[in-house]
Amino acid sequence: MLRLTGIRKVFYPHSVNERVALRSIDLHLAPGDFVTVIGSNGAGKSTLLNVISGRILADAGDVVIDGQSVTRMPEYRRARMVARVFQDPMAGTAPHLTIEENLSIAHARGRGSGLRRAITRAKRARFREELATLELGLEDRLGTPVGMLSGGQRQALSLLMATYVQPKILLLDEHTAALDPSRAALISRLTTVAIERNHLTALMVTHNMSQALAMGNRLVMMHDGAIVLDVPAAEKDRLTPQHLLDEFARIKGAAFSDRTLLD
Amino acid sequence: MIIALQLGLLYAVMALGVYLTYRVLDFPDLTVDGSFTTGASVTSVLIVGGQSPLLATVAGLLAGAVAGCVTGLLHTAGRINPLLAGILTQIALYSINLRIMGKANVPLLGQTTLLSPLRDSGQLTTWVGVGVFAGVVLAVGLVTVWFLGTDMGVALRATGDNEAMASSQGVSVDRAKVLGLTISNALVGLCGALVAQFAGFADISMGIGLIVAGLASVIIGQALLSGRTVWVAVVAVVLGSIVYRGVIQIALGVGLNPNDMKLISAVLVVVALVLPRTAPLRQWRRLRASRVAVPDLTETDAPEAAAPTGEAAR
Ligand SMILES: Nc1ncnc2c1ncn2[C@@H]1O[C@H](COP(=O)(O)OP(=O)(O)OP(=O)(O)O)[C@@H](O)[C@H]1O
Ligand SMILES: [Mg+2]
Repeated sequence: MLRLTGIRKVFYPHSVNERVALRSIDLHLAPGDFVTVIGSNGAGKSTLLNVISGRILADAGDVVIDGQSVTRMPEYRRARMVARVFQDPMAGTAPHLTIEENLSIAHARGRGSGLRRAITRAKRARFREELATLELGLEDRLGTPVGMLSGGQRQALSLLMATYVQPKILLLDEHTAALDPSRAALISRLTTVAIERNHLTALMVTHNMSQALAMGNRLVMMHDGAIVLDVPAAEKDRLTPQHLLDEFARIKGAAFSDRTLLD
Repeated sequence: MIIALQLGLLYAVMALGVYLTYRVLDFPDLTVDGSFTTGASVTSVLIVGGQSPLLATVAGLLAGAVAGCVTGLLHTAGRINPLLAGILTQIALYSINLRIMGKANVPLLGQTTLLSPLRDSGQLTTWVGVGVFAGVVLAVGLVTVWFLGTDMGVALRATGDNEAMASSQGVSVDRAKVLGLTISNALVGLCGALVAQFAGFADISMGIGLIVAGLASVIIGQALLSGRTVWVAVVAVVLGSIVYRGVIQIALGVGLNPNDMKLISAVLVVVALVLPRTAPLRQWRRLRASRVAVPDLTETDAPEAAAPTGEAAR
């Protein structure tokens, strides 16, 4: 479903600020794979998701989605295949537009936006139905500007918008990190439901070890622009957060001793 | 006062264009000063050349559209900062407008214009004239409201509101910006065409500082009538334009001369921008916002970003 080969991304190349964000990433996701991604700050997780969604174009390598090479395709054209939810609850919705207007944009995704009415009675009925699945009472507030919702409500709406028109790939970048524990749990539950209901292929970045283990069927650890650990479904169930922490320490130690060897 | 009302209504067409860029797209577009004169000069030259005034007016509208499209392409394809892209087009249009007119001023006296029937029957500066202009503004306003309610219009609004979100939801934000600038300057060109026919001439300097009048109308309108639906915003812009012309007319009435008007306009905009941010007004807005805020059913904390309308008044 998703195949990355030799993905490389360097920020500010040939300058003092040069920063290799992705060294050479190879990753293959089968249809229905739900991969959790962990790794230290600056490991390149967000950059990887940006390369998949098209927000950033890779310097080298190929991105293939469902057999189609999208390496050079701009973000807005990939949107019919790739949907995402960001860490910042403000990022996934337009604050001055109403809930139904926001949803109408998700509704038009992949269809192109013509001169048809954005809001019709039929669409409204569907919006209500979909919002009701969130169980937040948003179905009765279609005309409310999204800026008046709380972070948790906005994130739930972002998630609904991302999966409204079924994408091939769903990207989640620490999408529960800005929420308090109970709302993070709510969004996690909604995420699992949405992925199962739509049989989505998904990548979820998280810093929460137990979340990384509890969700998904596969786990990937990144460090310094590379994938350093890829745990398949069978092994993932046996892992504990302590295993992951030990692995982290081992990899960081390895990186450290490499450097000391060089000195 | 009829004259202020008429000018307010006529210039409201331009102000609606400014609303589309400044407010909807969040793109401060300075093309306006040039594209207004382009609309006026194209129309005037065609009328003098014997073309039908309707055709000439449509040509003025299209000329404005082209100017807006150029600014849009400078910004999107050329990656030029919005303000600079607008200024570049505006300056270039100064030369182009002179080329179109061949001189600095094209009089329309004695020519058949769209307004000739009104002028000839002596109704131009009466309430009949006001009614006709109101009809024009109503039509333009309705089309604007209709457009902003289509999928494309909502995509445009989302682009101005949260570009990253729009792009991730499949909106080509570059195309949306070019489209918005094109439509906006089409309205500005149309306004230039109408003003030239009303005033009886096109002049190379008629657009100078016009963007400030447009901004003033949008900002005054929003200060007077803030609402979150598109049609309220559109009505507010028209209202703002009328109030603005009224204030200018009063300023002229107390003995200030037309050359002082640019200063008055700038001061008006500053006041309209700063005043809503002063403490008592903010408090009032916050009160209103909290009354309509949505209780969060999942948790207890207060909703953030509680005042989108207040935010919009900046
Ligand atoms: N737009 C950018 N411009 C320049 N450098 C960038 C940019 N985005 C990321 N980087 C750099 O690339 C590296 C990887 O960043 P990235 O955001 O992918 O890390 P991350 O794994 O998501 O980290 P975190 O856990 O903190 O979110 C970092 O060193 C970062 O400074
Ligand atoms: Mg990140």
